[in-house]
Amino acid sequence: MIDLRLKGVSKSYGKNTVVKSLDMKIASGELIALLGPSGCGKTTILKIIAGLQQPDEGTVFFGSQVMNSVPAEKREAVMVFQNYLLFPFMTVEENIAFGLKMRRTDKAVIKERVNEILALIRMEGMGRRKPSELSGGQKQRVALARALVLRPQLLLLDEPLSNLDAHLRDEMRELILRVHREFQVTTVFVTHDQEEAVLLADRIALIFEGNLHQFAPVRDFYERPQSERVASFFGNSNFLKGFCSGQAVETELGAFKTPLTGENESGRTVSLMIRPEHIIPGKGEDNSFLCPIRSKIYMGSFIRYRIEVGEGLWDVIDGPEARKGYEEGESAWFTFPPHMIWLV
Amino acid sequence: MNRNTAAWLLTAPALIPVLILFFGGFGLGILQSFSFFPLIGLDTPNFSAYTEVLAEDELLLSLVLTLLVSLSATFLTIALAVTAALALRSAERGRRGILFLFQFPITVPHVIIALGALLLLSQSGFAARLTAFFGIISDSTDFPVLVNDRLGLGIIYVYLWKQIPFIGIIALSVLQSMGNDYEELARSLGAKQSQVLFHVILPLMRPALLPGSVLCFAFTFGSYEVPFLLGRSYPSMLPVLVYRYFTNFNLVQRPLAMALAVLITLFLLVTVILYKKFLGGRNRL
Repeated sequence: MIDLRLKGVSKSYGKNTVVKSLDMKIASGELIALLGPSGCGKTTILKIIAGLQQPDEGTVFFGSQVMNSVPAEKREAVMVFQNYLLFPFMTVEENIAFGLKMRRTDKAVIKERVNEILALIRMEGMGRRKPSELSGGQKQRVALARALVLRPQLLLLDEPLSNLDAHLRDEMRELILRVHREFQVTTVFVTHDQEEAVLLADRIALIFEGNLHQFAPVRDFYERPQSERVASFFGNSNFLKGFCSGQAVETELGAFKTPLTGENESGRTVSLMIRPEHIIPGKGEDNSFLCPIRSKIYMGSFIRYRIEVGEGLWDVIDGPEARKGYEEGESAWFTFPPHMIWLV
Repeated sequence: MNRNTAAWLLTAPALIPVLILFFGGFGLGILQSFSFFPLIGLDTPNFSAYTEVLAEDELLLSLVLTLLVSLSATFLTIALAVTAALALRSAERGRRGILFLFQFPITVPHVIIALGALLLLSQSGFAARLTAFFGIISDSTDFPVLVNDRLGLGIIYVYLWKQIPFIGIIALSVLQSMGNDYEELARSLGAKQSQVLFHVILPLMRPALLPGSVLCFAFTFGSYEVPFLLGRSYPSMLPVLVYRYFTNFNLVQRPLAMALAVLITLFLLVTVILYKKFLGGRNRL
């Protein structure tokens, strides 16, 4: 277990800068997701941490030690690649033992640790199989075991669930969480799947075009996103431009009360954000507006309305317990609870 | 008509002449190896050519020399071709030019390379005269014997010249298709550079390199023109021995040539079968 710090890390390939002055601090034992769309530089960051790529600028710290000049094989930061990369000419046991063999670990110790880890990934009795005889999920578990058997300071997972089908994803997710609980190893994993990040990580680092946009606990991305882009990446959001005026935001629809603004912020231009599921159909005490309903779609467990708010269209999710039975074309009251409004 | 029949019918015009020429010639050769050669009055098949060839004094020495040359050429080819492929893979500037030069020997016939080696490496050749001119050796006769030598160094040199690019291109394409991921993974798991090479890269290349090495060995073992030009007259490599019997003005020697040719073919066949049995299976990943 070790804490990890990246300070001003940048990396370019030719003229294309893929990581831009990245600062990040990860505490010992944390499980962190590097989240972002494909090509945003996530895997490059992982490889810089692993020592497989050198940053053009910036410093990588493991604890207080500068790691920039420490080669990958001496970092104790083991990376599990997206496409498993099991050595096809080795058995499962040999694959798992590879790192220990390279470190010239005693044969008896290797055997003991390989058996332990096979039990952990629930693959006892499969040690003599070749990778070609394994399913995708089993391959991924072996790849994880091959890293864990080394008891690394830092575990780096590149898209660990992306090649698995839905059922295996659940199994693998549970295994990663179990392993993390058991080994308490500082873990950084890369994903482009927001749901995967939310389900696994303690904190998420959201990256767009090599820039870190927000690094925070999972809940903050949903409830306190730092920008419209971050909010949109984490599910559907409704936005309305306005300016602060006392304890409200003045918009083209009217004043929205919110505890997030005060007298000293009056005049500041903001984007008011509220999630579709937080809007309540019907008239309430504060922030209730009469809005024309443009469409209504029955989705089984909920109804989705699209309502006109100023010049824009907002989504409203109406759960089964609060169905009002509004119809398309009519105007209806909707309430935007002040404590559910967020300003970006 | 099912698809298999159609495929056979469509390929028949190309296959039939090839089969007639190959198996016809091969069949006649086998018949002659059993001393069945009615043209010169040998019309009773027997094993006399085989017993005579196997009793030949030169045979054992020829076999040892042939094995020495073939195994050395094959081993050195693989080692140097892999080294070249690894270097070519990491070359960034002028890669296309280097690749062109590297592949160039593939287009040059063996005989031309052998004659070039003779002009370059013999004691009266260019290298000997050049080193003598610069005073590195006092006289061109002091130049080491590199062609028509006892160990077949000149022959090995020519085969390397020709085979390194051939295997090198195969190795390079394997390396390129493999990418860097396995190496990065191995380093991340704690392998040093040399361990990455011997425990990861070479085993991953093995499925492509082993058949290549069998091809090199079979070719080197069975071809005669290079050892004929660059080898010694005694002992000569086995294919040269066959050629000598075959071109002897006394046609009675012809069954000896055929018997030896059949024995060489059988030896190579057994080598390929052994390779398939012991390495071919492990080759499948």
